[in-house]
Amino acid sequence: MEEKVYGVQCKTCGKETYPAHAVCPNCGGHDFEPLEITGEGKVLTYTDVYALPLDYALRYLRLAIVELDSGLRATGQLVDDDPKIGKRVRTTVGVVRETGGRKIYGLQFVPV
Amino acid sequence: MREVAIIGAGMTKFGRSDLSLIEIMSEAAIRALEDAALGDQKVDSVYVANMGAARLNRQTAIASALVDQLNLFPAMAEAVENGPASGASAFKNGFQAIASGMADVVLVTGGERMREVNNLEATDFVASMSHPQAEYIYGVTLPALAGMFTRLYMDRYGVTAKHLALVAIKNHANALKNPYAHIHQAITIEGILTAPEAVVNNPYIADPLRLYDCCPVSDGAAALVLTTREIAEKLGKPIVKVGGIGQATDTHAVHERPDPTELTAVKIAAQKAFQMAGIGPQDIDVAELHDAFTILEIAESEEAGFFPKGEGHNALEQGVTSLGGKLPINPSGGLKAKGHPVGATGVAQLVELTWQLRGAAGDRQVEGAKNAFACNFGGFGNNVVTTVLMREE
Repeated sequence: MEEKVYGVQCKTCGKETYPAHAVCPNCGGHDFEPLEITGEGKVLTYTDVYALPLDYALRYLRLAIVELDSGLRATGQLVDDDPKIGKRVRTTVGVVRETGGRKIYGLQFVPV
Repeated sequence: MREVAIIGAGMTKFGRSDLSLIEIMSEAAIRALEDAALGDQKVDSVYVANMGAARLNRQTAIASALVDQLNLFPAMAEAVENGPASGASAFKNGFQAIASGMADVVLVTGGERMREVNNLEATDFVASMSHPQAEYIYGVTLPALAGMFTRLYMDRYGVTAKHLALVAIKNHANALKNPYAHIHQAITIEGILTAPEAVVNNPYIADPLRLYDCCPVSDGAAALVLTTREIAEKLGKPIVKVGGIGQATDTHAVHERPDPTELTAVKIAAQKAFQMAGIGPQDIDVAELHDAFTILEIAESEEAGFFPKGEGHNALEQGVTSLGGKLPINPSGGLKAKGHPVGATGVAQLVELTWQLRGAAGDRQVEGAKNAFACNFGGFGNNVVTTVLMREE
């Protein structure tokens, strides 16, 4: 069971990217190493989605873009009853969607 | 490069249709072709703009189907899929075909039949534009991306819920003057924002965005006939010239943009279209912007160069963008109230601007409009096509 989320680091120039691309946006390189997306950061922005997408039976779904201390940003689910722009959070990995009986793991941000 | 003019424009009423996708596209195309009154001139090439026929309507190869309906054999034909910017992309292809000499007369038809599926399915269809691994799996939808964009914009630039409501109120008022609009409903600040019942009538969709900040799900089609300037003059048509077209792309995942409040693709596409047309934003008399969400009208009005960054909401509040203001935006009602059948939208924006430049826009006419601008916004700003149209005496 894969319970980590990965971006990539370019083997040529060291640039970190999430999500992965086939070509490095910094140097044009094609060779990458997996880079685990983990750590602390702050909430850049968030929303509560009431018009729920397929596969969710909730009152609302709380999503955020987080800026990690490494400088990388990631979109994920925000597990926090008192969300604020700029609030410190850390990454965890959990089930973010269940579709056709299949569990999908992804980033869930929780307060530090 | 040959000069290109629009000589025919037509559309269906947007809303909920019982007709098939090909039938609504045929209706719009016939109106545009009748308007063009081509006489002995034949349509050489057909470009069809559509995003979802394969998924929503279980039909593929729809350009061939449209040619068959319209008896335009043996015209060249293909469909163009570029998300919600499909319409202006198809128009760009038509422009290129004429400018290059590949075709003399082109029919561009955009259409979408979204109400064939339920709202959940329609939302998921649109959400499938988002990044599959980095966005979609989390339950990201287009309203969710717009909600996060709006919260950041409010935090940084002082845009408030009232400003968002003012976009909706203006565009609903404009749509009341447009017989083709999906929504014919006057709304007020009290009704959608300040009255106690507003929380029920105008619930949150993806906060801070509420129901009246989001465009409806619509069926509809729009069509244009393009030709060379020479043929347009020979046919005795008022000349609505394609002054410039610009297009630009941006990152798939919104979080990868250096500043997620900047719509860089809108900025670059607008600069390219203005450069090609040889005019600037200050020369534009009327604009149709892609207000799938109210915040986007404000943000695009800044990125296109009409107002400095962070000041679009002030211009809106001062009435600059209302009918009768210095730069009316979305006289048609915009996506917000005219409706947003995704493949049709980019074409419908240009149908409206063609009517505006001909002085044929009825009660919503912008007096003396000479230069017009359209912004057709794909994904959440990852593929944007802008167009400048110019009336020539």
